[in-house]
Amino acid sequence: MQQARERGVASEQLLLSIAEQLKMPLLQIARRAELSILQDSTEGLKEMQTTADMAIRLLDNYLFGTRLALESEYQLQMEPVSISSILYDTGQQLDAMAKLYGVELRLNLGGKFGPVMAHRQGLQSALVSLGYSLIEALPSLHTNKADTKLKLELAAHRCRYGVVAGLYSEAEQLTAEALRQGRKLNGRARQPLATLTHSSGAGVFVADAILQAMDAELKVSRHHNLYGLGTILHPNMQIQLV
Amino acid sequence: MNVLLIEPDRLLVQTYAQALERDGHVVVVVGTAQAAIHAADERKPELVILEMQLVSHSGVEFLYEFRSYDDWQAIPVVVLSQVPPGEFIDSWGLLQGELGVKKYLYKPRTKLEKLLRTIGEFEQVKA
Repeated sequence: MQQARERGVASEQLLLSIAEQLKMPLLQIARRAELSILQDSTEGLKEMQTTADMAIRLLDNYLFGTRLALESEYQLQMEPVSISSILYDTGQQLDAMAKLYGVELRLNLGGKFGPVMAHRQGLQSALVSLGYSLIEALPSLHTNKADTKLKLELAAHRCRYGVVAGLYSEAEQLTAEALRQGRKLNGRARQPLATLTHSSGAGVFVADAILQAMDAELKVSRHHNLYGLGTILHPNMQIQLV
Repeated sequence: MNVLLIEPDRLLVQTYAQALERDGHVVVVVGTAQAAIHAADERKPELVILEMQLVSHSGVEFLYEFRSYDDWQAIPVVVLSQVPPGEFIDSWGLLQGELGVKKYLYKPRTKLEKLLRTIGEFEQVKA
């Protein structure tokens, strides 16, 4: 009973931050459309299309994450997947949005990786949700370095326990403490990740829910002097034995 | 009018800035409270448009800092925020009094037209 109540509260909190988050692309489209009407031009059409496409994609990912949060005992079926191909596809999905925000998206695969155990759609949804939140947040995190080009790296690297896959930037504000506080405040505060983003940061919490259903965890990670959010994936032992 | 626009979202800020410039205003855009204080010092704005939900320091923190300087006491501040005004119901007196917020516009329900009209009213008062 208690567990069910806690589960209900957690998914309500997730839904609240998702609703807040989805207001932003709608607002961007509405205002951009209004400006185009005022200017009697079609100048912003491409931008509106990109924003709308991204909003639909996010909605899909968020629905997927919310469904998992509602059925917290549900575990995603793991399969051997290629981490390089997942990161590549994630990059493809985020690229247009990154360009609109002036963020350069890079793919950095530190070596060749064998298959890792993950749920393909789950991992990709988690990375896309996370990526959107970081792309949206980066311009405000780098205001002191006006001349710096904003960069976001989709990267994988080996660690003691397997392969870490995540998104990395130069933003020093990406700390374990910020994530811990954010998880505590999610659903209770309008801006749970106040040192990281001006939005509700729903993408981070959706990624959290999806990774939990994969028995994995969203962690703050450092790689090549970059700060990031990612998860540890375990190699497929069967293929390794062969 | 010289307008300081404090807006953290990069896409929205482009739209607002274009609309304001089209209406004849000179716009300086910043994304954080800290950058806003520097910009206010350098560009001497005649009006500030402020989002309350910012990274690290909130709009309210900005207002405390901004109003602590004598030179900036009379500069009108219009809030254009994602935060519904109802959430400030307990601190309405403080916002309008000590912190000098002249108008509170709820962003999702404020069309560009209304924003431009509001700024126009301040321009008329100034003239």
